Amino acid sequence: MRIHVVKREDCPLWKKILLYVGAVALALVLGGLVLLAMGVNPLEYYSKMFTMGMIGNKIAYKAVENYLKILVPLILTALGLSLAFKMRFWNIGGEGQFIVGAIAATAVAFLTGEALPQPLVLVLMCVAAMAAAGLLGVFVAALKVRFGTNETLLTLMLNYIALYVLTFLGETKGDWNFFLNPQSARPTFGSFASLVSFPKIMLGKFGLNICVLLTIVIGVLVYVYLKRTKQGYEIAVVGDSMGTARYAGMKVNTIVLRTVFFSACLIGLAAAFKVGTAGILSTSITDDVGWTGIIVAWLAQLNTVGIFLVSALIGVLQFGSTAAAATFSAVDSSFADMLQGVILFLVLAADFFTRFRVVITKKEVERHG
Amino acid sequence: MAEEYAVELRGITKTFGPVVANHNVNLNLRKGEILSLLGENGSGKTTLMNMLSGIYTPDSGTILVDGKPVTISSPQDAKRLGIGMVHQHFKLVDVFSAADNIWMGAQEAGFVLKKDRYQKIEEMAKKFGFDLDPHKQVCNMAVSEKQTLEIIKVLYYGAKVIILDEPTAVLTVQEIDKLFGVLRRMKEQGHSIIIITHKLNEVMDISDRVAILRKGEYITTVDTKDTNEQELTEWMVGHKIDLNIERPKVEKLSPLLEIRDLTIRSDEGNVAIDHVSFYIRGGEMLGVAGIAGCGQKELCEAIAGLRPIESGKMIHKGENIVGLSPKEILAKGISMSFIPEDRLGMGLAPSMSITDNMILKNYNDTKGPFVDRKAGREDAQRVIDELGVVTPSTETPVRRLSGGNVQKVLLGREIKAGPNVIVTAYPVRGLDINSSYAIYNILNQQKKSGVGILFVGEDLDVMMALCDKILVLCHGKVMGVVHAHKTTKEELGLMMTGSLDLTHKYADKPAGYAADSLFDQEEEGK
Repeated sequence: MRIHVVKREDCPLWKKILLYVGAVALALVLGGLVLLAMGVNPLEYYSKMFTMGMIGNKIAYKAVENYLKILVPLILTALGLSLAFKMRFWNIGGEGQFIVGAIAATAVAFLTGEALPQPLVLVLMCVAAMAAAGLLGVFVAALKVRFGTNETLLTLMLNYIALYVLTFLGETKGDWNFFLNPQSARPTFGSFASLVSFPKIMLGKFGLNICVLLTIVIGVLVYVYLKRTKQGYEIAVVGDSMGTARYAGMKVNTIVLRTVFFSACLIGLAAAFKVGTAGILSTSITDDVGWTGIIVAWLAQLNTVGIFLVSALIGVLQFGSTAAAATFSAVDSSFADMLQGVILFLVLAADFFTRFRVVITKKEVERHG
Repeated sequence: MAEEYAVELRGITKTFGPVVANHNVNLNLRKGEILSLLGENGSGKTTLMNMLSGIYTPDSGTILVDGKPVTISSPQDAKRLGIGMVHQHFKLVDVFSAADNIWMGAQEAGFVLKKDRYQKIEEMAKKFGFDLDPHKQVCNMAVSEKQTLEIIKVLYYGAKVIILDEPTAVLTVQEIDKLFGVLRRMKEQGHSIIIITHKLNEVMDISDRVAILRKGEYITTVDTKDTNEQELTEWMVGHKIDLNIERPKVEKLSPLLEIRDLTIRSDEGNVAIDHVSFYIRGGEMLGVAGIAGCGQKELCEAIAGLRPIESGKMIHKGENIVGLSPKEILAKGISMSFIPEDRLGMGLAPSMSITDNMILKNYNDTKGPFVDRKAGREDAQRVIDELGVVTPSTETPVRRLSGGNVQKVLLGREIKAGPNVIVTAYPVRGLDINSSYAIYNILNQQKKSGVGILFVGEDLDVMMALCDKILVLCHGKVMGVVHAHKTTKEELGLMMTGSLDLTHKYADKPAGYAADSLFDQEEEGK
């Protein structure tokens, strides 16, 4: 018996969906085995996780609010990354751009929060975060365009620089450091929640954060930008073949700089939304969205609608596992990270099967010599 | 008892997904003969040979070596059985010396690099009558040297059966002669050789027998002395075909594009084009011949505005085009299509649809921020209809099309823009006979309508039949411009290697200067 891997010409959509759903299901089964080994009933755990602890909960709307809080930065970051990835610019600096954006937004909040009307402060926070993150992205893109440096290495290294700048701000007492809480003797980040925060639209008890609506609007805009506009077309051509783009008379350098700027801007905006709702900086402000966003963007195959769906799923895993941890003390919420890894693995495997097929030939071929 | 063959293939079938690359192929190779394997693109020649050399394994069928059935499941197996293959794309490590390239795959190499490897390999090269410096790094070698190294490598590993995949594609006429000399000598020493090519004259020249494949099926094997080129072609394509390339006579118009004293540097900073002068008239096709990498690419890029020039002048209809952006040059009606070796590198975005590739050069002409794909789709449909592109739809990614169709899409887009100068490099690269003729027709149509064409080509026979004049480049220098119907392949070959310089043939006027040049006009315009 011999096994051949054969390329598929076309995979019908229903088969693709079936494969992906199957991959997720298989991951859950594998996770279930782990849970069983720990003596936890997987069905109970999963039902808690997927309902995010909402059933039988009097303040279920709170859970939805918190779930959306996780979702918004993740979606925006993944959208931003998808712009750069479409152009084959490997921006893995989502973390760093997010942090820089968060610092800029917080600075605006502290410096202008008392003097200016709140809506204006919020707009300024978003603009500052986008500009800061965007410039960090453009810095790397400019080095690549000018000197041919490797964007993967540079964005990666800048992540750590940004993180240590943030840590420095959080741990250094000083008159200049307005990020800290002046009342505390120990250096801790100060809260600006009382000064400014993104408003909610109240639907009964449920408060729909305005950031959620804005994210949906941005999602539509990104979709149209990539699919319909000349700039989106340029991104696709540059990503597909740089030589062809140049040959067609495109200003490739401008396109690269512009696209990376937009990419980082969206990540900066994600940061502004995040600190604008949290009302405080922290060294874990990114929630790893710079990394998770990469996974989301790839799992969604850079498809804008896909990014919303995949983010929703990953959000359920992350938030649901925290909710379930309240009931199942034996299972740490990092179980979700493990599950996420298994899902990623199996979805990638499913992706392989959408492109290839395994054929087993029965005929025994004799070996000689 | 039947004759014992060096290699015999019986009923070999190989499929890639739904594509049948080889179907029930029977082939045999006698000891000490040169067998040509002939077939169009996609007829499964390379696949078949890859199964002999262990890169692929057949789905069914038997391979016999020296009369014994064998299983070849890796290149190591092939090596052990004495089968060696020289691939079309050389498999050499650029930064290694010649000796190390051979040594790293040798059985007895061991763990430590021994000093005597240079000497051993030099001795062995001498034994076969090769001239090789074992210390020379591959990246410093000319194409023909690399090929020699590949052959020595295969011999060093003790191959008795040697397969050469399109060995002549990259060589000049003189180098081909030399190679054929080597092959004949190897044959005398008892080696059996399979040579893949689709150049009929070479088949007639070198081989003892010819095996023909068509669309993955084995057609026949004939003795070379009993056949002729016409017959072989008919077997190859399956029907009668006119091998003559048309060269329509068109009234010459005034010079459209004139190049004077042009010097261009390559990416590495070397002089790629060295004080080159030539001109193209409307309704004229000027061929550019030269060994690969003699500045053809740089010249095309410079004309299209993609590469800055060092010095010299380029005027189009009397107007200077030096320093203009690619877009401005495009707007003047100069179109450039360069088919690189990997075919999709320049001019097309492979994962994008035919529609998206149609709008590549004019997507920005419409107002507003949005792309007009509707017009693009109509253009795509028109090109598909007019040039007979075989595709499921206008939205199929170009990458999924076959080579001939890819090139039709590219040329179709260029012609759609209504250019007055077409620069086309290797437009039939890798195409089979039918597709090639379709492309020649498209170009001839354009020529008849008064377009000036610069045709950078590889196949001298084709250029001599299709072009009006041929410009020969050698290391970036012009070796002369000759009339295509008056020259010979030998003359062109000598010029390509720099042994013959015809630039000063006509003492009364410098080569490459048009008698009715529009240069004065440009000077006055200043």
